[in-house]
Amino acid sequence: MYAIETKDLTKRYGKTDALKNLDFTIDENEIMVLLGPNGSGKTTLLLILATVLKPTSGQAKVMGLDVSTQSTRVREILGVAFQEARGFWRHKPADILKFHANVCGVPKSRRDSLIDQIFKDLELWEARNKLFMHLSGGQAKRLEISKIFVQRPKFAILDEPTSQVDLRGKRQIWAQILKLREEGSTILIATNEVREAEYLADRVTILDKGQMVVCDTVRELKDSITGGDIVELEVEAADPRSLQQELSQLEGTVKIASPNSNMFKAYVSMAESWVPRMTDICYRKKARILSIRVTEPSLDDVFLHFTGRALGETPNA
Amino acid sequence: MRNALRLVWFDLKPELKPPVWIIMEWVVFLVQVGVYGAMLSQLVTGVENYNRFFAVGLIIMITFDMASHTGRHFVEHAHEGRLPYLLSLPISRAKLFMAICLQGGTELALMLAVPLSVTFLIIGNLTWMSIIACVLVLFWLGFGVAGLMLGLSFIAFKSSDLYTAIVTGLSTVIIRFSTVLYPFMFLPAQYAIPAAFSPLTYGSDLVRFILGFDPTLLLNPYYAISILTALSVSTLGLGVILIQRLVEGVKSA
Repeated sequence: MYAIETKDLTKRYGKTDALKNLDFTIDENEIMVLLGPNGSGKTTLLLILATVLKPTSGQAKVMGLDVSTQSTRVREILGVAFQEARGFWRHKPADILKFHANVCGVPKSRRDSLIDQIFKDLELWEARNKLFMHLSGGQAKRLEISKIFVQRPKFAILDEPTSQVDLRGKRQIWAQILKLREEGSTILIATNEVREAEYLADRVTILDKGQMVVCDTVRELKDSITGGDIVELEVEAADPRSLQQELSQLEGTVKIASPNSNMFKAYVSMAESWVPRMTDICYRKKARILSIRVTEPSLDDVFLHFTGRALGETPNA
Repeated sequence: MRNALRLVWFDLKPELKPPVWIIMEWVVFLVQVGVYGAMLSQLVTGVENYNRFFAVGLIIMITFDMASHTGRHFVEHAHEGRLPYLLSLPISRAKLFMAICLQGGTELALMLAVPLSVTFLIIGNLTWMSIIACVLVLFWLGFGVAGLMLGLSFIAFKSSDLYTAIVTGLSTVIIRFSTVLYPFMFLPAQYAIPAAFSPLTYGSDLVRFILGFDPTLLLNPYYAISILTALSVSTLGLGVILIQRLVEGVKSA
């Protein structure tokens, strides 16, 4: 059984399809990252799985429970950290987390110590008794995600968990997310931050215009780009032209350029198997390798490859 | 149900620290009855001791305002982005709706504590039964109006401005065209017709009947009980159905 499963899931707002016939699964104890530009349907999918929105058609199941017909039971096993924490203006972070823990059934015996620990881990200790309206954007965001770490649900939904958070805060949150997974939670994260996806994801699903473009591990996605790896090579060779010619015929070479006589820039597939073959050729040709630099494609490149647009670009309606 | 009660307390707690708006409402009531009501009493001759009649009218208006506030609260939840959070909690939609109503009811009880005590004091000679019956009628009316406003809030979900406009217009009509401030028998025909459709007419006349006002000035109490019951049951029922079927978190949140 999948932890999450959608079949033909569609959500329509007026004439706009926010999600179109989405078939999607997440395994238990997996971190799945939804990657896509604004308006790609990420938040809509999360809100449907959180039973906040109703699908227009199709089916979505969380741990085998249907989100439309068993919504209350679904809510008992999931936790959601929304994109923005809003609407608690006159409450204090300590009260907000206490309320959330109580409602979500966190045992009283470990509730307070857990809340204190999360406040310390996410550097909210000093702010715990301020009014919510006086928190900074980053503090409010950290408080929003703290709800998940206090609740420790079986299925956690995180919508842009580190937007507005500084790099140090991001690392603290990422560490907590990984710890949550270690404890057995299944985690679904929506983000448009490539680095976050690369760091956390077991698998990445790229969404665009409400449809799934591709879903795989980060490694597989990167390897799926032909010529996506770039190898920059500096050599001392007696005959650079014949070396270039031989390298261009190597399996996996897509293109090779030589900005000057001892520099080569090769666009290759699967650099990890291309480089050893390249060094054999250099050895045979008595070319001395001065430096090698391998750059793999980012998820930005993956997105560009599959959709024809960069992640930051807004899709045409 | 425990989670629904937790939600009520969570929402209510900041309102009570300190309860400025509740105290302000009490002060306004005391000034209205003590100054304006006392003067009006001298002017109005058709109703004996009009100040008592006026005090009950004010209590009905507070009840109506609080019930409207409950609906507004719900729209604000949606537009401030809090509704998605509430909808994601392990509380059934029906219990969430009940929690919102219960919070409105608790706020109403706090709001009415002083005005009701003062009114009972002015009227005097009341039995415990009549006091309890009066409080029950006010809550029944409050739930009915809150249900109506919550129903409206679903319709006006896309715009809090639209909701405000509808409620302001509605309150203007519902309060003025009712027996809140004047007995039904004194209303000119063109005002009496819309007043017969105002729930406040039945709420205020029923409360006055229980408190021992001259029955010749009031509408039939059994008729009033029927109307209020029909209103409360239908609007609360409608609210529960709407929240289960229609309500979704505002997407931008």
